[in-house]
Amino acid sequence: MKVTIKTYNAVAYWRWDAPSDDVCGICRVQFDGTCPNCRFPGDDCPILNGKCGHSFHLHCVNDWIQTESSRGLCPMCRQKFEFEAE
Amino acid sequence: MATKRRILKELEDMSRDRSSGMQAEVVDSDNMMHLRGWFEGPPDTPYAGGTYVVDIVLPDNYPFVPPKMRFETRVWHPNISSQTGAICLDTLSAKWSPVLTIKTALLSLQSLLAAPEPSDPQDAEVAQMMLNDPARFDAKAREWATRYAGAGDAAPPSEAEKRRRELDGYSESLVEGFTGMGFETRAVVSALRGAGVKRGVESLAEDMAGRVVERLIGGM
Ligand SMILES: [Zn+2]
Ligand SMILES: [Zn+2]
Ligand SMILES: [Zn+2]
Repeated sequence: MKVTIKTYNAVAYWRWDAPSDDVCGICRVQFDGTCPNCRFPGDDCPILNGKCGHSFHLHCVNDWIQTESSRGLCPMCRQKFEFEAE
Repeated sequence: MATKRRILKELEDMSRDRSSGMQAEVVDSDNMMHLRGWFEGPPDTPYAGGTYVVDIVLPDNYPFVPPKMRFETRVWHPNISSQTGAICLDTLSAKWSPVLTIKTALLSLQSLLAAPEPSDPQDAEVAQMMLNDPARFDAKAREWATRYAGAGDAAPPSEAEKRRRELDGYSESLVEGFTGMGFETRAVVSALRGAGVKRGVESLAEDMAGRVVERLIGGM
């Protein structure tokens, strides 16, 4: 079966608690806390903002980039993961 | 340690969100890395109505490597081994990403059931059947869904039942009188209804028969 979509109405809405933006997609911990590998609050656990617009804990995304299967890609959008120089 | 926290979160999330239909639990409470997941077969497929159980083993470095998943329920599907339940799916191998979860992995298995890919088979015998004899493939997939996945026996109606519905209460011999003239059953039944013929009568007066024929010709 083939379906052709003739019209499509995008409905945008705001959610104050939009979880995807303030949670690290890899460890699922809020960005205001450290990644689960950092044992103590206050450990230096920086957040890395990718040029593609996706952010992760530095420690989390490092673990991913070091796996062979990552091929250096962003876990969200599969573009090459490059971070913004601050 | 880090992994366990995330797994706990995932399990919590799945038990809270029943709307996705994806469920999972630990098989034995000492070992968080061995889970059992399950979901319903997708509607409008031979798997509809069945419950599919998946054995899930999480490697130590999960979520950086994909969960190892295998169908525990036997499935007749080109991308699933009919013998071992092994799965051929890129999301669970080369295309895995650590932002995916057990729930999204189960969802991708459900979509795999709905969209078989016989050109990249896990089970060559099943794939051959699907390509060469799709009707036989559907029947066998359905039979396995009924036998192993507990799908309800929603067998298609028998020929006799189909005929009975088609006749809509009119007598076979009455309808045959008109189909013998070359009209289709469906058209005859609707002409009989339109002319106000009572259901169950075996023969028609000449003027009534004439009216039915007029309708049949008018409707052509
Ligand atoms: Zn993280
Ligand atoms: Zn950290
Ligand atoms: Zn990205």
